[in-house]
Amino acid sequence: MRKSAQIAGIVFLFACMIALFWSGREVRQPGRRQVDYWFVAGVKDDSPPCVALFNQAQDSIYVNSIPIPWNEHEKKVLTAILSGDPPDMVNLVTPVPKWAARNALVALDAVIAADRLDTAQFFPSLWEEMKYRGRTYALPAYTGSYALFYNRRLLREAGLDPGRPPATWQEIREYSRRLTKRENGRIVRMGFIPQYGTIETPLIIAFELGARFIDPAGTRINLTDPVAVQAFQWERDFFDLYSVEEVSAFMGGFGYGNQHGFIAEKVALFINDNSFIDQIEKYHPGLDYGVAMIPTFGDSPSVSSAGSWWLAIPRGAKNKRDAWAFMKFVVSREIQLAESMSREETLFPVNRLAANDSTFLAMNPYVAIFSGQMEQSRSKSIVPLVHDIFWREFSLARERSLRGVMPPRQALQQAENTIQSFLDRALEYDTYVNARMKTEDFFD
Amino acid sequence: MKPLKKNTLWGYLFVSPWIIGFLVFGLYPMIMSLYYSLCQYDVLRIPQFIGLRNYRELLFEDHYFYASVWNTLFYTCIRTPLVILGSLLLAMLVSKAARGVRLFRTIFFIPSIISGVILSVLWMWLLNPEYGLINTSLQFFGLQGPLWLIDPRWSKPAIILMSVWSLGGGRMLVFLAAIQSVPDHFYEAVEMDGGNWWDRFRHVTLPFISPVLFLWFILEIIGSLQVFVEAYVMTKGGPLNSTLFYNLYLYNKAFDDFDMGYASALAWLLFLLAGIITFIQFRVSKKWVYYSGGTGK
Repeated sequence: MRKSAQIAGIVFLFACMIALFWSGREVRQPGRRQVDYWFVAGVKDDSPPCVALFNQAQDSIYVNSIPIPWNEHEKKVLTAILSGDPPDMVNLVTPVPKWAARNALVALDAVIAADRLDTAQFFPSLWEEMKYRGRTYALPAYTGSYALFYNRRLLREAGLDPGRPPATWQEIREYSRRLTKRENGRIVRMGFIPQYGTIETPLIIAFELGARFIDPAGTRINLTDPVAVQAFQWERDFFDLYSVEEVSAFMGGFGYGNQHGFIAEKVALFINDNSFIDQIEKYHPGLDYGVAMIPTFGDSPSVSSAGSWWLAIPRGAKNKRDAWAFMKFVVSREIQLAESMSREETLFPVNRLAANDSTFLAMNPYVAIFSGQMEQSRSKSIVPLVHDIFWREFSLARERSLRGVMPPRQALQQAENTIQSFLDRALEYDTYVNARMKTEDFFD
Repeated sequence: MKPLKKNTLWGYLFVSPWIIGFLVFGLYPMIMSLYYSLCQYDVLRIPQFIGLRNYRELLFEDHYFYASVWNTLFYTCIRTPLVILGSLLLAMLVSKAARGVRLFRTIFFIPSIISGVILSVLWMWLLNPEYGLINTSLQFFGLQGPLWLIDPRWSKPAIILMSVWSLGGGRMLVFLAAIQSVPDHFYEAVEMDGGNWWDRFRHVTLPFISPVLFLWFILEIIGSLQVFVEAYVMTKGGPLNSTLFYNLYLYNKAFDDFDMGYASALAWLLFLLAGIITFIQFRVSKKWVYYSGGTGK
């Protein structure tokens, strides 16, 4: 009897331990079907405004929003999909094709067609980013549009016309030379710094000149395209006037908020997205600045790089129907407007109707410029199967060229060789897997 | 016999959480990673068996592999003797029965409880070429400080310099305990023979603490081979891959590129490298480590 009681006790303890790990999903609103929605949290864990709006707008579905930390978000979603218990919907920012290429997302083409969703409402470059090999896997949620910020006061001080910002990359170089200031031989102010900020200057120039970086079949990398070399050469030539080391040391003093190079008036020309206006308002309200289109290269068009936060249904999700209802709600014109304008830092709508709405246009005098720039943006998702390798190699080639370790063409050639070898590997694996695994469809 | 058997059973039952933990979170992942190292595997899809190709590509085609091995060995070879000798010196200083020595022991121990990420952020500011405390101090003496983390020639030394921070901590305490356990009559014998402080250290302290030194050399070399946080937080491997340490490269392959097969092969090669270095250390130790028991064990 005593022995059996001991065994029963141990079994009970193990059962408790298993139960602890096996707890099911928490039901937040009884009587409503639940959509578990994972979004990447910023500094605050606040649920996005669209969630509250959706939960108030109807009473049959409840969206349960769960913040996931930025640092580990990819790994967290990856693990959830692998475990077979993913959320019903995710909001991520790393390129859709990177996930779609690995069968991580549910294909949405069937439900888009069935619901006759008007896809022309999205900015074309953002919509293209939602696709991989012709199929659609996500809806864009919100974005940021890039343009050139210029400091009018500093332009005036340097004897330049404050009403005429630089319009070409050649002018950027010339303006920068005149705006840069030294004291005791050390740089104390710069006109423009190509590697300051999140946008890659040579990439933008190469985009403007029509570089594609890969063949249409997606199997041969072409980083040594003459226009890509030309873009790298422009950046290399820019540093004829300054040393990379002294500029890097100067940038070492930059920080966030009022220590930002442009906000602290240490940099006069800077490319950033529309939410930067809110930061200027917050940290330096009196700053005399303007916004202009990104410079062009000769006769080329002004091009920006695109990228958006997006919504998708992970492979194995339980409640696809209700997740889709919420996704459609988020991208609608009204919600896009409400969502964009209610944040501490303004988001740019992915919906063109919202972006060109009079209330949004009235937010500041530069919205039309950002909207125009958005129409002419290009995706950074160039080689989905080896996305991170591509960008690591691109950055390394840029660093090698900038520091004069090797000429631009040679740096790009080395990067091309490395990316190609990893792409060949990935393509072989892709062929093997695609013969054995199928992408999940919405109606599966 | 019967009660012994029963006790053994209970013993196993009590250690079962550890055994289960080891099997599930230790042995199983190790076996799987060995299998995946022979596959192409992106985590989200099925693995494709490719034999030894990952190892072949790593050893004969991947220049980043050798760059990361070089960076890691450079870091290990400079840092390990530096932190061990530095900690030993500190331990000898705080082993003196001087006034306020307990306070110094505490002060030297405190930095070791700070997490690696916080430490890295702190050092990014200290090493800032424009406003950092280090370069500002150098300027005070009329010296122009280097660009530290921005300059590929100085980035590895800068990360090694960070180790100074952790000279105290556990290492110092263990050395302190070892030094204090040396019987006094040995020192007295040296003094009677007319020996000075160096003779005392060389002929008494060093042989007595040599097993502890040996232990720390093994632990520190293995630890240094796994350097990761500093480069991940401060440099992301740059500039020009000068801080692309082995584990950072492994992490990039596994969690940025989702190339888990390749990353597993990298992990097994590191395991092999650490194993070889430790084996050599054990062989060499017979020549310099002294065990007072006399059995060499």
